Amino acid sequence: MNSLGKIADSVDAYNRHVAAEVARARTDPAFATALRERWAKIRASIETTHSPTGTALPRLALPQTDEPGAIAEYLLGQGLPGEFPYANAAYREMYLDKVSGTGEEPMRLFAGLGLAEDTNARFHYLGQHQKSLRLSTAFDGPTLYGLDSDHEGVLGKVGEGGVAIDTVEDMTRLFAGFDLTRKDASVSMTMNAPAPMILAMFIAAAKRRFGPGCVPNLRGTIQADMLKEVQAQNEVIFPIDASLRFLCDMIEWCVPNMPRWYPVSISGYHIAEAGATPVQQAAFTLANGFTYAGLLRARGADVNEFGPRLSFFLDCGLDVEYLVLGRVCRRIWAIGMREVFAANPKAQILKLHTQTSGRSLIAAEFQNNLTRTAVELMLSYMNYTNSCHSNSADEPFTTPTEQYATLASHGQSIIMEESGVFKHMMNMFGGAPGLLILERQVEQAILAVFREMNTLGGVLAAQEQRYQRSKIQEAGHNYEKQIYAGTRPIIGLNKYVNDEPMPSVPLARTSPRKQRLQVERLRAFKQKHAKKAPAALQRLENVARHGGNVFAELVNTVEVCSLGQITACLSGVVGKFRPMV
Amino acid sequence: MARAKTTRSTARPAGPLRILTAVPICDGHDSAVTTINIELARHGIEVIYLGYHQPASAIVRAAIQEDVNVVGLSSYNGGHIVFFKEVVDQLKKGGGGDIPVFGGGGGTITQADARLMQRQGTDRIYFAGTSLDSMMAEIKRHYGRAAKPNARFKGDRALARAITLAESGLSFPLLPAPRSRNGAPHRSYVVGVAGPGGAGKSTLIDELTSRFLQGNPAGRIAILANDPSHPDTGGAILGDRVSAIYSQDDRVFFRSLATRGSLTGLSAAAPAAIDILKASGEFDLILVESVGVGQESDPFRIFGRGPKLVDATLFVLAPYYGGLIQLQKIALLNGADLVALNKCDHPMAHTARAEIQARLDQNGRGQTLHPTTAAKHFDPGVDALYAAILGLSAKSK
Repeated sequence: MNSLGKIADSVDAYNRHVAAEVARARTDPAFATALRERWAKIRASIETTHSPTGTALPRLALPQTDEPGAIAEYLLGQGLPGEFPYANAAYREMYLDKVSGTGEEPMRLFAGLGLAEDTNARFHYLGQHQKSLRLSTAFDGPTLYGLDSDHEGVLGKVGEGGVAIDTVEDMTRLFAGFDLTRKDASVSMTMNAPAPMILAMFIAAAKRRFGPGCVPNLRGTIQADMLKEVQAQNEVIFPIDASLRFLCDMIEWCVPNMPRWYPVSISGYHIAEAGATPVQQAAFTLANGFTYAGLLRARGADVNEFGPRLSFFLDCGLDVEYLVLGRVCRRIWAIGMREVFAANPKAQILKLHTQTSGRSLIAAEFQNNLTRTAVELMLSYMNYTNSCHSNSADEPFTTPTEQYATLASHGQSIIMEESGVFKHMMNMFGGAPGLLILERQVEQAILAVFREMNTLGGVLAAQEQRYQRSKIQEAGHNYEKQIYAGTRPIIGLNKYVNDEPMPSVPLARTSPRKQRLQVERLRAFKQKHAKKAPAALQRLENVARHGGNVFAELVNTVEVCSLGQITACLSGVVGKFRPMV
Repeated sequence: MARAKTTRSTARPAGPLRILTAVPICDGHDSAVTTINIELARHGIEVIYLGYHQPASAIVRAAIQEDVNVVGLSSYNGGHIVFFKEVVDQLKKGGGGDIPVFGGGGGTITQADARLMQRQGTDRIYFAGTSLDSMMAEIKRHYGRAAKPNARFKGDRALARAITLAESGLSFPLLPAPRSRNGAPHRSYVVGVAGPGGAGKSTLIDELTSRFLQGNPAGRIAILANDPSHPDTGGAILGDRVSAIYSQDDRVFFRSLATRGSLTGLSAAAPAAIDILKASGEFDLILVESVGVGQESDPFRIFGRGPKLVDATLFVLAPYYGGLIQLQKIALLNGADLVALNKCDHPMAHTARAEIQARLDQNGRGQTLHPTTAAKHFDPGVDALYAAILGLSAKSK
């Protein structure tokens, strides 16, 4: 399963190949001529556009050179937007069409609070001005841990920090009033250990509303990245091998049956939030991605079928490496997938969702968080992320209130729609001297981590030795120490402190009355299905015990069973996860 | 900073301060708590870390069994008002009402929340921006009181306090068995578990515990987990509870012991703790886990060769012990009643099994080697090892 050493070698080999081609362009006249001709053709194909003040601009900015070596360096080393190795962008035009009115916005806003109907109302509020339907769901703690709302000791957590989902009926309420079969609809769910159960509920709820034929049309992403859970976020229910098996079952089911769905979002966000440096975030995340590719391939899946359905999710903070993190990740992924996994172009493209850094936001003088998020948004878009979430300034205290969620959303619109930075021209920054230096340094640092993990036996073996957890914790402690020592300035916390009293901001909290209502609904559901549930759980248990595809059965189980009932059933077969320090 | 609700004695404690730290149920944010654990240990405090996603009942059970000075909770995803109150209330109900609870949650716990939580019994809340140094100084000043005998303590708390007194070098009460089964005096079977660090002793003990709980619907088991104190600071992070998923049960008495300078592989109070547990008549089985040892003398004999502290010794090792010469040096392989080769899913396991069996055959004592993979759920090797322990226990009766 471990191919990290090979991947690191393949990136170095590709870099040597680029260098050799650059040299050849400078010494081989025939090659030089061919490159110049291609360059001229590309240039001729670029349309012209105009800024609102009348300046004429090409829709794609190319380096101002006719020197064959420089041309080769750009075309092979970075690639045109949408071309291998994809350093500049996954697609040719990215945001250009979107802001001019034909495509979908990259903005994707994360929401989840209280009961399903509360989150549904927030979705309707946030989406009122959006052209396309892009929803992103946060779940509460009990749901993330696969527990029912009536589980002992969780009542205070019901609907806190995200929406409470126990049953398919909650899922139906969550998306009421939205046409999920629209071509431009897309639903994202931040859900990991119980992702198979929750996605099965989503499918069941959609079938109830739009008929059984709707499944191939459903579009969206479920996070489901269990490796980063074990390494950083700690929301794990089942032992690691069982968790990975359930995930692969889901991916294998989704690829043919739900071709517009991304069944995994390989996430560095939580790795970074738990303390990792930008380089560690990228290295661990890419390595996890290659591990999933290896696991799926070992099960007999075709890389060209599952490859395009893998998606990625990175954190964007304020450290300088974030200027290039997305660019470097796309490049390493493309080279590794092409060279080591023999993937075709569609399966080489790293599709990226970015979220601004939650850790960078602080409670003290919290309105500065608006500026922090704005800078991070700018960095995210400079990396040509495919979609982006901006955090709300009030997040250090609470699930975002409407006021700050709106400001966060408008921040994106100001950058993408008011400002002209991303509207007119692709490749505004690629090839800048500072970026190139950063790219090289960050890439080499990532490969060094790959090689270290390779000597430990790969991601899974390193994980067993707590390698990633130790590195993340160590980096987190360093970050804190730098803040206390003042070497990492945080305005309002350790620098230019005004000693303002903590603000009293309105809090989005779930009332005990609502929490009890959720429990009552769950009990009514269980009662209604008390006769059918045991047989459904028995069927699920049999599939789990005998190595069948658990996801295929879950789609039926959720019709009559709650999340907690299913978790308990599967735990009975595969056991519980043993946490690591 | 919240003001202290109560003032406490500033008398120097007889031993290091003991703090239980945990993250509430349905919360996996452990980055703050791990930073604080390290700081606490660096300041000479013994930290018993319970882990993340912990229900109030597990926190209270651990606080009582560990007889800690104070409980520290790190909560980052809401529901703190209800949760802290639940911990405080359950502590009161469970005989730990004297154990204060403090906590923090960055910006998620507001000033208004903290006031309400303090009215509901939480001792104090640390807000975002509190410096670690001032927090440590205050914790030591505020919670560092010495443990004294307390005749009102009952059940596990009384046992736990007796062990604390023994750890402090004070005289401790041997609590007489309150009940005896079949009229005969109740006997506990005591197994010492030793082995090099990283062999998977803690996981194996937890798996044996799950076998015990399944096989004895009414019985109780006790675990004494010894871990090293830091030689310079005197602090310790006692983290065995984190991965002890089956030990979160009222039928399990789990006590973490820091070695506090003892070099035998056990806390100097371990013999007393074993006596206390045995005398209580509560436990059918007592498992004593040494710190990572192997080549040195037997930790389960007084002075390494004197009278035995345990009825049987289980030696656990992993396949990567470093070759035949290293194997010869492991003194405990001579004396161990049971030997487990854990992590048998490791590529070296096959060779290791043959080498260790040959090493045991030299002893001529008919010792069997038990191949186990404790990290695997329902491992039949662990089943067989547990059966062997039961066999020894039955023979001794």
